Amino acid sequence: MVEPLLKVDNITVHYGRLSAVREVSITVNQGEIVCVVGPNGAGKSTTLLTISGVLAPTTGDVTFSGERINGMRPEIVARKGISQVPEGRHVFTTLSVEENLRIGAQIRSDKTEVEKDIKWVQELFPILGERRRQSAGKLSGGEQQMLVIGRALLTKPKIMTIDEPSLGLAPNIVDRVYEVLTTLRKERGMTLLIVEQSSERALKAADRLYVLRNGQIQIEGNASELQDGEKVRQAYFGFSETEQQEDGANF
Amino acid sequence: MKDLAKTLRVSKLLSNKKVLLVLGLAIAIIGIIVAVTDPVRFQILITSVSEGSFYALAALGIGLLFGVLRLINFAYGDWVMLAGYALILPSTAVTSTLIIGSFHPVLIVLIIIGFTVLLSVISEGTVFRPMRNTSPAIMMIASFALGYVLQNLTIMIYGGRPKSAGIFEELTQQVNLAEGVSVPLLKIITIGVTALLLLLLTLFLQRTKIGIQMRAAAEDFRMARMLGVRANFVIAMAFVISGFLASFVSLMYVTQIGILTFRMGTPIIVFAFIATVIGGMGSLVGSVVGGMVVGVSSVVLKNILPGEIRGFSDAFVFGLVIAILLARPQGLVPAKSARERV
Repeated sequence: MVEPLLKVDNITVHYGRLSAVREVSITVNQGEIVCVVGPNGAGKSTTLLTISGVLAPTTGDVTFSGERINGMRPEIVARKGISQVPEGRHVFTTLSVEENLRIGAQIRSDKTEVEKDIKWVQELFPILGERRRQSAGKLSGGEQQMLVIGRALLTKPKIMTIDEPSLGLAPNIVDRVYEVLTTLRKERGMTLLIVEQSSERALKAADRLYVLRNGQIQIEGNASELQDGEKVRQAYFGFSETEQQEDGANF
Repeated sequence: MKDLAKTLRVSKLLSNKKVLLVLGLAIAIIGIIVAVTDPVRFQILITSVSEGSFYALAALGIGLLFGVLRLINFAYGDWVMLAGYALILPSTAVTSTLIIGSFHPVLIVLIIIGFTVLLSVISEGTVFRPMRNTSPAIMMIASFALGYVLQNLTIMIYGGRPKSAGIFEELTQQVNLAEGVSVPLLKIITIGVTALLLLLLTLFLQRTKIGIQMRAAAEDFRMARMLGVRANFVIAMAFVISGFLASFVSLMYVTQIGILTFRMGTPIIVFAFIATVIGGMGSLVGSVVGGMVVGVSSVVLKNILPGEIRGFSDAFVFGLVIAILLARPQGLVPAKSARERV
């Protein structure tokens, strides 16, 4: 069996004494699009931040290309080839659009390739070329989403992790974002780990799917097998009527 | 009730950036017009802008660290103080002997820059780096502690008595700018050096790779790190620049005053800190604007207040500060990251 590119192995992450994810395992193989879906507070962002080295797991390991990376600093993880597009976009609003892109490329030493890649990103998202001198804070939400994806691409990642790319965007912009993401895989063989709240869109793009709820993986499988959606729905909202009532009683 | 509504409308108007910019420019232009018509007023103008430049530099040194690190560094004034003491022979003798201070002027400047930068970097490595993952409040307390350690170290080595340290004494001579307008050369040099340093800092932040990384880190440190920006390097650079600015603050101050005391950093840090607050914590433009407001208003008030209350001019400066903060609690030029968190 081929070693997975990214392996999240049984991690538990705490915020203080509270555990946000418990014994979560996710694998992403080279060239795959993997989606993690789950409701608010399921631990999706926590998982991604742990992969990026911002949070450290209490137990469990994260391995990337066979190397253990948990405990490494975020900047080291980024230099290893994991680029995260975090939730809420996080463009540098005081920097220009082009400066934002270039800060993605600052870890690379292949200068001519960087220039080529900047051109390529500006072709992928023409608006980033047109507005390259403008302050990034002036871009619309959709344009900012494109900017952060472009910026992450310029780090020349081996895998991109994306936290809720559709958050707060108009449906046609979301379509555009997903179109680009699938093109990236098709044309560049990019490996993607996408986190979403809505499973519908994610199911369409993904090869494999994980459903995360209350900090634990509820179900995993090939996207094609989960296509009918009933299983996913159950995993997303809870397994049975009674359990849902119990959950309700807890509030 | 009607009055309250009116006040609210005024403060709303003042929260508009363009209105504020126009207002600021108008005050500056009126100030200049009023000043050029009269030699004495012109002297006050130059002196006040020079004082403003001084506080702008000091505020920048604090604002820069706050922007990148959320550190309010109260030890900054003691870096300035120690940079002054570095000029003289370390001894507790009553009379002081210039050592570094007696070198060639260029050498003095270079050595003091080196000394202060080193002091700043060592402070980072020994005190602030281990504290980096605590809260800003804890780091601020640590900076107070560092300040006290530095002050007491100074008393141990140099004694508690004020010491004289006359450097660049020729700069305190008066020069004639025009008919009836004469100011110390130092005032003009202070303005010039500040302008030059601001230009260099702007170029550094806008044009160089490290500068862009620093701006990114100041706005969103975590995101910058996730793109591979090295936290330790960016923070160390911020301390280098902060120390660099502190060395100029010290040289200007010592040239002006000519006397060293172990407490001399305190008034500088108080005014500079207030300048960063009214300018907008973490905003570099804000630090400069805040420094100017504090410096200019301080000198102007000292000159225009009637004689019997002139001694209390600081009270009026702080009154102005309170008024500014009531109208714009986030500061005159709020920082981007600060705005997001609200």
